[in-house]
Amino acid sequence: MKKRALGLLIVLFSILALPYWIYIPILFIAIILFPFFWEGILFALLIDVLYGSFLGTFPLLFSPTAAVALIALVVMLFFRDNLRSYV
Amino acid sequence: MFGAVIFSLFDGAIISIVTPAWKVENVITRGLRNSVTFFNSQKALIAENARLGEKVSSLEIELTSLSIRQTQENVLSTLLGREHELGKVLAAVLTHPPQTPYDFLVIDAGGNQSITLGGEVSLPEGPILGRVSEVFSRSAKVKLFSASGEETSAVLERNNVPVTLLGTGGGNFKVILPRDVAVENGDKILSANINSQLLAVVGEVNVQSTDSFKEVLAKSPTNIFSLRFVFVTP
Repeated sequence: MKKRALGLLIVLFSILALPYWIYIPILFIAIILFPFFWEGILFALLIDVLYGSFLGTFPLLFSPTAAVALIALVVMLFFRDNLRSYV
Repeated sequence: MFGAVIFSLFDGAIISIVTPAWKVENVITRGLRNSVTFFNSQKALIAENARLGEKVSSLEIELTSLSIRQTQENVLSTLLGREHELGKVLAAVLTHPPQTPYDFLVIDAGGNQSITLGGEVSLPEGPILGRVSEVFSRSAKVKLFSASGEETSAVLERNNVPVTLLGTGGGNFKVILPRDVAVENGDKILSANINSQLLAVVGEVNVQSTDSFKEVLAKSPTNIFSLRFVFVTP
């Protein structure tokens, strides 16, 4: 639980302070490492809310990052049993 | 999609909460950058000094030619009753690419500084960068013209050909032109409005012998990864 909380803090810090080519891989690494990392979808939404524009960029209030995070989360549900994680 | 609706409702509030963190981050980043500069070797500093000296002289020349042209434009504008609008608002940039993945800026001026949707955002030196896409009480989002898929009407300065700049992200643009139109590296692309502000500079021209069109790659005149202040026309 502590590791998951630490992971959340690292992802949040990276979204607020680091370039996108660092925080997007960190987000997806967290989705892979932590079991059912649903918080990843919220973080992905946060990225699009902070740094994109639902009025100007994403039609029909669609969040591309959140959609990809959701797909990654669903895919990980099938592969998780075959992965060994030490987190 | 439901999440996106909820989040977009609290868009302004979330940005207000995060703004102090961005301000602290900017201060820390600048401090670190200055520390690194302090430890640069003497040789590197001499080289840097020489390079900057050359740049200053070239900019002085450019400024002289620009001011002559600007004066002529001002006289013309006055005669036509289209004087340049004043009353621009100076805003600090809270976040810029590469922190934002979609070529957006978040600035620290919003409705409280009479910023309005569609307001023109430019550099203090003159080049135009983008338009205000969302306004909150104390902040605003700016969509850069270089945002992926963004189309902007412009004019190629060399021969006054109207072109459409297509943003490709990261401060880059693409223009498709008939192969007979003369264009070279370093040519300026200006905004299509009466002020003719600098939008982009041609960086590369790609043309195949069998093509009817040429692909012109242009870049923003400034480094959008290190923006600190912008002017916003409310």
